[in-house]
Amino acid sequence: MKLIVEGLTVKIESREVLRDVSFRVERGEIVSLLGPNGSGKSTMLRTIFGILKPLRGVILFDGKSMNSISETSKVIGYLPQENPEIGLRVLDVVLLGRTPHLSGIKRAKREDVEIALKALKDVGLDGFENRRFNELSGGEKQKVMIARVFAQNPRVMLLDEPTAHLDISAQIEVLEIVRRRVRDDCSALIAMHDINLATSFSDKILMIKNGRIAYAGTPDDVVTEETIRDVYGVEVIVKRHGSRVYIVPKKTVSRNGVRVHVICGGGTGRDLIYMLNERGYTVSAGVLNALDSDWEAVVEIGGEVVSEAPFTEIGYEAHSKNLEIIERVDFVILTNLSIGRGNLKNLYAAKYASELGKLIVIEKTPFECRNFAGNDAERIYKEIVRRAVVVGSERDAIRILDRERYINN
Amino acid sequence: MLIILNVLSALIGLSVGSASVGLLDILNAFIGKSDEITKQIVLNYRLPRLILAMLVGSSLATSGCAMQAFFRNPLADPYILGISSGASVGAAIVILLGIATTYNIMISAFSLALITAILVYKIGNIARFREQSYAILLAGIAVSCFMTGLTSILIYIAGRDMHQVVFWIMGSFSNPNWVDVNFLAPIAVFGISYIFLNSWNLNAILMGDEHAMAVGLDVRRFQKQLLAVVSLLTSAAVAVSGVIGFVGIIIPHTMRLIVGEAHQTLIPSTILFGSAFMPLVDVIARTATAGELPVGAITAMLGAPFFIYLLLRGL
Repeated sequence: MKLIVEGLTVKIESREVLRDVSFRVERGEIVSLLGPNGSGKSTMLRTIFGILKPLRGVILFDGKSMNSISETSKVIGYLPQENPEIGLRVLDVVLLGRTPHLSGIKRAKREDVEIALKALKDVGLDGFENRRFNELSGGEKQKVMIARVFAQNPRVMLLDEPTAHLDISAQIEVLEIVRRRVRDDCSALIAMHDINLATSFSDKILMIKNGRIAYAGTPDDVVTEETIRDVYGVEVIVKRHGSRVYIVPKKTVSRNGVRVHVICGGGTGRDLIYMLNERGYTVSAGVLNALDSDWEAVVEIGGEVVSEAPFTEIGYEAHSKNLEIIERVDFVILTNLSIGRGNLKNLYAAKYASELGKLIVIEKTPFECRNFAGNDAERIYKEIVRRAVVVGSERDAIRILDRERYINN
Repeated sequence: MLIILNVLSALIGLSVGSASVGLLDILNAFIGKSDEITKQIVLNYRLPRLILAMLVGSSLATSGCAMQAFFRNPLADPYILGISSGASVGAAIVILLGIATTYNIMISAFSLALITAILVYKIGNIARFREQSYAILLAGIAVSCFMTGLTSILIYIAGRDMHQVVFWIMGSFSNPNWVDVNFLAPIAVFGISYIFLNSWNLNAILMGDEHAMAVGLDVRRFQKQLLAVVSLLTSAAVAVSGVIGFVGIIIPHTMRLIVGEAHQTLIPSTILFGSAFMPLVDVIARTATAGELPVGAITAMLGAPFFIYLLLRGL
């Protein structure tokens, strides 16, 4: 069945919970509703089913609007979010799904029992009919409730967070069950919290923010770093896996207030920059040629970087800016970089830092092997080393920083 | 089995008492062959008393069962809408005014019970709760407390009639007559049938308002009807017998343990067990001592230990 929602506005106690919402669910489609708590997902499902009356807007099922819940429930299966705590037998629970199809004094006929048993089989709970509902596991309960929806013979399913409180295998199982059913002329609109499950199980995603549809489209169109930041207010990294997208949260660290400047280049500072950032140090670097891999690392973590155009010698302006930063920061680290004519000024900068007594030198290979700037450079380096702490690895450098920080605090 | 239990308890109810009547005499009384005194005892005293006890037992038990489904709470009973305290006020007023006939007490208690239930429903309906049943529950507790306070004051004022009010509140089937039976019977038949025929819907509301609506039930309308019927049924039962506690809890729970929670089987067995249980308790009440104990006290004494058992068992 095709569901069309047009200009839907819902007010609950003078607050507009949904504002001018329009979308459609095509036949055989799974559409996920994503959005933070309180964004209006549940309200949307309850309004479409007819529990809440909209202030404005049209809801059409295959072009027709419904007048009452008893009429709606004949073709629409709605599953509320919270599961009941009851001691009814599983079969009695599933049989309740036949309610819309019974008339007069409601009693289950043999046909209804058969439909209920078939629904239980479809969700993989064959033989569970005489178990008591409240003795089942969370995943089994959820599957019984979905069997109840199936027993209604729905042509659109409205499911409110069917995977909440379930472990990962039950989450996948439940959504697989729903997807199997959706193939035969039945569509589904599912409110979800887990963005990764939504992207892997739905054809379309609607992202709701403050009662409006902020973004709509296929999962890889809708789920981006910008949309997640906008709707949920968190920083994530969106990754692709084949045709699918998934998100991982960006690691947020609390800044420890210690500023470290890294003199590096040619990839010698990358690891160090990431490590310092993860430990909460405020990192800057320079002078670096733009697009150098160290340069990219500093830019990625949002640190300050003194740059020079690619493949050009460090100019006077960049150098003096570098010295300014060195004066400002608490520590300077000179990495195991190669020195040539182009970046010789960085060695002078390091010398300046050593004179200020805040330099740590990482020396993995002897300087002679990476010096391409002649004897002058050799002499300067020796002077530097005399006034600096020399370590053999990034880890040791950080250990020294951590210890210094500890002592100062 | 429950039907056999019913027949047995009926026979015991008719035969046992301060004047013991043999089974054969009972039969003779029915077909008009016994002496006048036995006939009087059996037909005009014990038979109405038996029928009354059966009707009250099944009415309270069925109402209790419906209320437990309505509130989704094992502790709910028929009096949760303030009916018992409302009825007490009604009875106390009539006794205080010195116009206490069976008929007057009955009508006054019945009316005040119904008024109280309506009041509770109205308050619960105004209150802004997503789950309306909680609002009604809380309103019921509040109004009940108020009415109980009012009853206490009335009892205090009553002075020498105090004994009569207190005895009425404790509940009993003494002074049975056909007026009571004729009053209660039609209401009981109607109310109990309504609840029985709505077993399916009771299962649905047991799942919660949201789930009941999800299967297409007009929950608000059904809840309104159910409350109206239970109020009527309970008020009528209380009006003829006083406040008999715990029947509405013990009987449905016992049956739940035996037949399970599905109302299609739970309701009929509750009706039958209720109508078998009440006459037996009544027999105990009138034979345990030389005088007559209030039935309400006996059920409470049976009910409380049972309740503790349920608690220990984890409900």
